[in-house]
Amino acid sequence: MAEILSIQNISKSYGPVQALKQVSFQVPEGSVFGILGPNGSGKTTLLATLLDILKADSGSYDWFGGMNPEAARRQTGALLETPNFYHYLSAEKNLQINAALKQKGATDIDRVLTLVKLLPRKHSSFNTYSLGMKQRLAIANALLGYPRVLLLDEPTNGLDPEGIAEIRELIRSLRQEGITIIMASHLLDEVEKVCTDVAILKKGDLLLSGNVKAVFQNEDMLEAGAEDLEKLKSLLEQSELISEVTQNGHVLQVVLRPGIMADAVNRYCFERGVVLQHLSLRRKSLESRFMELTRS
Amino acid sequence: MLSLLKIEWLKIKNYRTFWILTGLFAVFMPLFNYLLANGVMQMGPGGMNLSYAFPSVWGFFGFVASFFIVFIAFVIVILITNEHRYRTNRQNVIDGWSRLEFFHAKVLLTVKLAVLTTIYTGIWCLVFGAGYSGGFEHATQEMEKLFYFFLLCLNYYGFALMLSFLLKRSGLVIGLYMVYVLMVESIAASYLNWQFKGMYIGNFLPLQCSDQLLPFPLMKLAEGMMNQQAAPPPDYAYAIASGVYIILYYFISRQKLLKSDW
Repeated sequence: MAEILSIQNISKSYGPVQALKQVSFQVPEGSVFGILGPNGSGKTTLLATLLDILKADSGSYDWFGGMNPEAARRQTGALLETPNFYHYLSAEKNLQINAALKQKGATDIDRVLTLVKLLPRKHSSFNTYSLGMKQRLAIANALLGYPRVLLLDEPTNGLDPEGIAEIRELIRSLRQEGITIIMASHLLDEVEKVCTDVAILKKGDLLLSGNVKAVFQNEDMLEAGAEDLEKLKSLLEQSELISEVTQNGHVLQVVLRPGIMADAVNRYCFERGVVLQHLSLRRKSLESRFMELTRS
Repeated sequence: MLSLLKIEWLKIKNYRTFWILTGLFAVFMPLFNYLLANGVMQMGPGGMNLSYAFPSVWGFFGFVASFFIVFIAFVIVILITNEHRYRTNRQNVIDGWSRLEFFHAKVLLTVKLAVLTTIYTGIWCLVFGAGYSGGFEHATQEMEKLFYFFLLCLNYYGFALMLSFLLKRSGLVIGLYMVYVLMVESIAASYLNWQFKGMYIGNFLPLQCSDQLLPFPLMKLAEGMMNQQAAPPPDYAYAIASGVYIILYYFISRQKLLKSDW
């Protein structure tokens, strides 16, 4: 797959605070790319740098294989941190300005307002909107003019559960249309549900990046229980199938070696005279992986 | 260039503050002149017999109008600082402008406002001049004063533009602008002129040099009498100085905008 965006060694500091340290990664075309990290990890700084809002101290980035940055931004729909609109203008008039900036016609405005369910309020001025409505308008603006790439910073901020689900659906259907989506979030649940690729940031360091399946591979975990837990534990500890065993209350948490399935463990125990009472496969959640990575 | 101005127009055409401030200028500038012309209001002790007839109307009307252009300077300050306050400057760039295009849109708007202020003032000069001369005889004499008025507008507006980009907060900019216009510069100008007698250095301060193009009527005469050792600088020297300052505002603002974070 071709790369939509390529980032090379971007560093940025605010006085003594180093917000980004030599960050490099690529965003493949057609992916839903999640940028993860705790608050203050540099997510917004990175996105703002990619949009020329902030100037990187060093490093570079290329959109669409080196397209002129202004032309690239016109093909990119972006929502950065907070919805930014002229407070005294209506939704429609605000979008007219942004359509002109993108050098697109104003004919697309009703379509995007319909997508975010703001059409009935298109003549109301922006300062009468609720937080959720402002966020919806910002998403509508990002969708204006059929962008090739969407850059969304915390897109579900301020939305109610229904709104969050709608945005998730929207992201899925946009991906079906072949639009690349780059999304920064600290809501792991959100990322886990929609992303194909991730990059994880912590205090400006890129911890890892890549395909979700590759990043979180071999992280399958078993929960196993038997009458004689001690015996089961010592048995599993000797086994070559298993890399790690820890006791958690009445069950053992077992990390399998690559390529090993649950049935092999079951057979191994049974052949050695231990009958399992409890056996369940747990995909190690993004959350526990994330905690593991960012805590150390 | 036109597309930049077109987008700026979309931003301001429904902005009430813009229309109110522009309206205040549009109403009070001619009204004040009208009251002076009819002797309802007077300038200086006992008033001076100032003629609104051609050709002196150009200089005198321009002098009075120069007090009212601060309304338009405030418009510029508010339009620029609003962008920063609501972060729409960021959104403009996100949606496809370069930083330089954003800057040039505001510069062009400033120039356009200076042109419109000048045309509007020029029309009133013709109306007053025709009224008090009973015709258009000598109407083209001293018309260069209208060009000086344009330079003065550009200077005052450009200064407002630069302060807005440098300081970003509307209250702060308007406060400092007024303190500078009303106090700092007149004190500095008087001090410098007193310290370096006959050299007129104070007259070449940023805004003062344009004020000198449309001085208080009869001021030139008084100046000449007070400083007999040196003749006052010619108008073109002040015009050139104004031009240099205007270019300076442009480059200082541009540098700030291109280099810093938004």
